[in-house]
Parts: sequence; structure tokens; C-alpha cells
Amino acid sequence: MKKKYKTKFPVARIKKIMQLDEDVGKVAQATPVLISKALELFMQSLIDQACQETRQRNAKRLSAAHLKKTIETVEQFDFLKDVVANIPDPMESSTGGGGVGAGVDEDNESNKPTRSRRSKSSSSKAIKDQEMEL
Amino acid sequence: MSDNERSGAADDDLSLPKATVQKLINEMMPNEIACAKDTRDLLIDSCVEFIHLIASEANDICERENKKTIAGEHVVAALQALGFDDYVEEVDDVYKEHKKQQKERDRKSTRLENTGIAEEELLRQQELLFAQSRQKFEAQQQ
Repeated sequence: MKKKYKTKFPVARIKKIMQLDEDVGKVAQATPVLISKALELFMQSLIDQACQETRQRNAKRLSAAHLKKTIETVEQFDFLKDVVANIPDPMESSTGGGGVGAGVDEDNESNKPTRSRRSKSSSSKAIKDQEMEL
Repeated sequence: MSDNERSGAADDDLSLPKATVQKLINEMMPNEIACAKDTRDLLIDSCVEFIHLIASEANDICERENKKTIAGEHVVAALQALGFDDYVEEVDDVYKEHKKQQKERDRKSTRLENTGIAEEELLRQQELLFAQSRQKFEAQQQ
């Protein structure tokens, strides 16, 4: 096995995140382990391709704009479009970092618009809570 | 140690631990490029989205097979269905390794259990054998 990373994703946490989806029921022991591996490959791929954009712009820091460009360009990352929807588009001028801090502050809540699955679960959870209160 | 992060967090805020992801990012980034802080947070969000994506697809595949538990096979099939064929080989390797290790674990624990049960079983068998030879002996005496 080509284990080149020292750090690993927490398997138990992955399982918890999976089960936030109400449709997801029981999960075999292997499952979050496999997702952890896939996540590694995914993150490396995303970073590699985003850094290509960074180099193209002669920048030394991987910015949100570079990530956004990558996500919009690579079909495999289509599902991430919502995650970067609020990021301002990169400015073409060579002054590089302009506007990067603008929309994306500490408040990550704004980066979470309609995610069909999750908003469905949380709203139906809310309804369930109300029903229980009655 | 017990009271640290868990106390206030609601389930819906569930995400991957920042420190862990930061370490992984550092391992994955090229030496000459740094990762901005807000980019790191976006990467975390992307990872969580990825988990949801795979989990949901694997769940659908699982249901179509009328199974109740999402198995490794469903995860692999989900990766293929979602256009992550390039991950399949390595993920499959991890799966094989996991199954192998699980077999080892099961084998070791049943071996121990067998030793435990065997003692009582052995005693029973021993009694039986004594009774049988007693009978044979008594029959011979006649």
C-alpha cells in the first residue's frame, strides 16, 4: 500500500457526517475507511489542480479564487459549485490578491447555500422536533 | 481532556477537525506554495461535500440491492458512478487489506473463544468417555 501521508482522516467522524443524511442507515465497518481513502485522493487531486491555477497566476498562495476556478473548470468537481458560489471571481489584473478577503471572512455560514440533501434533512428534522413538542 | 470541543457543537455543524485537515494540506501542498486560511476552510467544506456525495450515492446503490447496510462494494460502485474511476483501484486495495485484517481479527478471537468453550466441552466429552468405558468394562465382566 502506498501510504504516503502521516495524517489520516478520522474514521469515526466520517461515519457521523455520513449519518447526517437521514436516508443513510447502517454502515459497514469498512465503509468510512474506504471513504477516508477516497477523501485523501480527492483532496490531493483538488489541491494539485488548484495549485496549477496558482502557478499560472504567478501567485505564492493558494487562494479561494484559484480553488473556485478549478472547481468550475474540472467536471469531476461540479458538485462543489455551491461551496464556492460566494467567492468573487478572480480579477484579471496582475495585482493578484485584490478582492480575495472581501466576500470570504470568518463567517463560513455564507458559504453554505442550498445543499439539497442537507437542507432537506435539517428541515425535516426541525419538523420532527416540532411534532415531538406537541 | 473530557470537556474540550464536544460540549457546544450541534450535529449539523459537524465537520472535519481543522487541525487534522491542516496537517494533511501541509503534506499535500507543493513546497513553494502556501495555503491561505480561507482556502483551507473551503477545502474542509469540499471534503464534507464529497463525503455526502459518496454516501448518498452509495446509499442509493445499497437500497437498489435491497440491502440495509452500506458495504464497501457500494462505496466502490458509487465512486465509479460519480466519475471517480481513477480512485477505484487504490480504494479497492484498501478494501482488500481491510478484509484481510478483519479475518485475522476474527480468527484470533474465535481461537480464544474455542479454548474457553472447549474446556467445558472437553469435560463433558471426558465424562461421556468414562461412562462408555465403564459400560464396556461391566459388559466384559459378565
